[in-house]
Amino acid sequence: MNFQRIKTLGIAHAVLFFCILCASAAMLYRVAVQACPIPGCGFFLLDGLSVFFIFVIGIVGFAAAVYSIGYISRDVRAGNLSPRKAAMYYILFDLFIGSMFMVVAVNNLGFMWAAIEMTTLVSAFLVGFYRTKQSIEAAWKYIIICSVGIILALLGTIFFSYAVSVAGGPKSLNWTDLYAVAARLDKNIVRIAFIFILVGYGTKAGLAPMHTWLPDAHSQALAPISALLSGVLLKTALYAIIRFGLVVNKCLGGPGYFSHLMIMFGLVSLGIAAGLLLVQKDLKRLLAYSSIEHVGVICVGLGIGGPLATFGVLLHILNHAVTKSLMFFGAGNIVSRYGQHNMRMIHGVVQSMPFTGTMFLAGTFALAGFPPFSIFMSELLIIIAGFTKGAYGITGALLFFLALAFGAVIYQVSRILFGRQPKGMARIGEPLSAKLAFIFLSIFILVLGSTVPWVLKCGISAANEILKGI
Amino acid sequence: METLIILAIILGTYLLAVAKRITALVRGFAIQSFFLFLYTLARAHRENSFELYIVAGLLFALKVAVIPYSLSNICRKIKVNDNLGLFMNTQLSLIFALVFTYGAWIFSKMLVPAQDAGMAVSLTASFTVILVGLFIMVFRMKAMTQTIGLLVMENGIFLLASSIAGGMPFFVEIAIFMDVFISVIILNIFVHRINKLFTHIDVTKLTRLKG
Repeated sequence: MNFQRIKTLGIAHAVLFFCILCASAAMLYRVAVQACPIPGCGFFLLDGLSVFFIFVIGIVGFAAAVYSIGYISRDVRAGNLSPRKAAMYYILFDLFIGSMFMVVAVNNLGFMWAAIEMTTLVSAFLVGFYRTKQSIEAAWKYIIICSVGIILALLGTIFFSYAVSVAGGPKSLNWTDLYAVAARLDKNIVRIAFIFILVGYGTKAGLAPMHTWLPDAHSQALAPISALLSGVLLKTALYAIIRFGLVVNKCLGGPGYFSHLMIMFGLVSLGIAAGLLLVQKDLKRLLAYSSIEHVGVICVGLGIGGPLATFGVLLHILNHAVTKSLMFFGAGNIVSRYGQHNMRMIHGVVQSMPFTGTMFLAGTFALAGFPPFSIFMSELLIIIAGFTKGAYGITGALLFFLALAFGAVIYQVSRILFGRQPKGMARIGEPLSAKLAFIFLSIFILVLGSTVPWVLKCGISAANEILKGI
Repeated sequence: METLIILAIILGTYLLAVAKRITALVRGFAIQSFFLFLYTLARAHRENSFELYIVAGLLFALKVAVIPYSLSNICRKIKVNDNLGLFMNTQLSLIFALVFTYGAWIFSKMLVPAQDAGMAVSLTASFTVILVGLFIMVFRMKAMTQTIGLLVMENGIFLLASSIAGGMPFFVEIAIFMDVFISVIILNIFVHRINKLFTHIDVTKLTRLKG
């Protein structure tokens, strides 16, 4: 009886997120295709960049809501979760997504800071949801490291507002006001402020060497939450960095300072992630390190700069969000079937769970950057942009780390997918909701691998218009 | 007057750096917050601003009363050993805090125009508070001290914002207060859970997740 009720709640929740997805797509259409700005009343800022991020959050949010139906009701049936806790899960899920929408939609940088802090606070509960020793430890680490990081980001925000008050600008933390007076700001203060911003929000984005919370939190969270953390939470922090980066570039009169920092942090993240991917034993930690790798790719792309690279970066943000969500859903199915994360103990996934296994295999190739999947295209765009700009050393290093990560991911995952399944494993069906989520996400992966549909192209171009200064 | 209060804040910060027990740390935080409250009140009086009076009131209610009370409450409830577990003894900690102040002074001189000594002093104070907060988080072993360290850092940021940027816009200030308050509640919940699961709150022993 209770179990049925949780299932109905999950379905209603997924329908709600379908509406949110439609609304975000409509916003994208209105801003990008009809070029008709949405009035923000000074509080919201809904330009091309914001709307694009809202759309990405909408997609991953919907997929995670669909996947949650089967995942949560299975846990309730197995007695791992009480129905009350399951309802709590849905409330926290909504708060989490709501705070992420807030981050990318508000104009005021102080509110943006508060919203990012709110994402940490809400998702910490979702990381420590099962209250095992490991998950509590992960949640504690997550909340402490990210809070310290984010306090540094607040320091950076205050320096920006100090720079504005020195330059005689209005007393306001709105991004639009800041951007308007950017050229008059004191260059030294802006340089110092941006370091704090980059380290602060970079902690949240999972940039090495501030990434240490990320593998723990991603591996201990529930599977749909891992997908949200990796797919969109990291991107919202990157969004904040991009917004400040635009101001910095306009102030300093060129992208040099921003681009050097981004390339440095990006390559360090790529290197550390590629190395640690090779030696991982835990399936979900493997995916977490792969997220660090992709954040590194995005940062290097931002550092290379220019319209082609930023187009690639925006596409990569979407592609990585979609692909990584699919992988975490797959990992969630595998982990709940085998009862553990340890890859040395998992064999024969394709045999025991044909649908999940096949999807996971395709997703692995997509994630590693194999054609004809979408990540290949966006990485290719970034690499082409790098070579045409003449940044041979940087692009070469990027290619080297990508190759390393490619090998590591394929090697690790092929060992768990193939081989014989353990004896005595009963054949049980895979939940329908998970299959639907897989199909929904794989459509994006396949279509974006060959072409960017017209509407989305307009959307990305509109966002790219904002990123002109990078 | 305001400079005197700022000096008191710096002295209060040194008290935090040398505290050996959790109760002393909580009390130090409350004292520091009280001086911060006085500072905001003085500013509100000078600028005759209604919004600043509200901010001061909130500061008093949350940081001087509610948060220290809830922190000492949870200390009593989980019956934890009162010793902090120092990685670094108090004398050395004090020397570190003094070095922080000196470094902050040099950094502040770089940042603000030379004739504005008052601002340099308040900037120095805020950086000292932020750095000592970070120091407490890193060099003390209990989970509770990380909460307090975070709060101390936040106090420093508040001082910084009100001294150099003329304070943040009113509603941003309120949003940040809300965030701090919620994070304290959540951190307390987690301290409680850590204590229940591990039967201690020693963060140096939280080492299950590696690699």
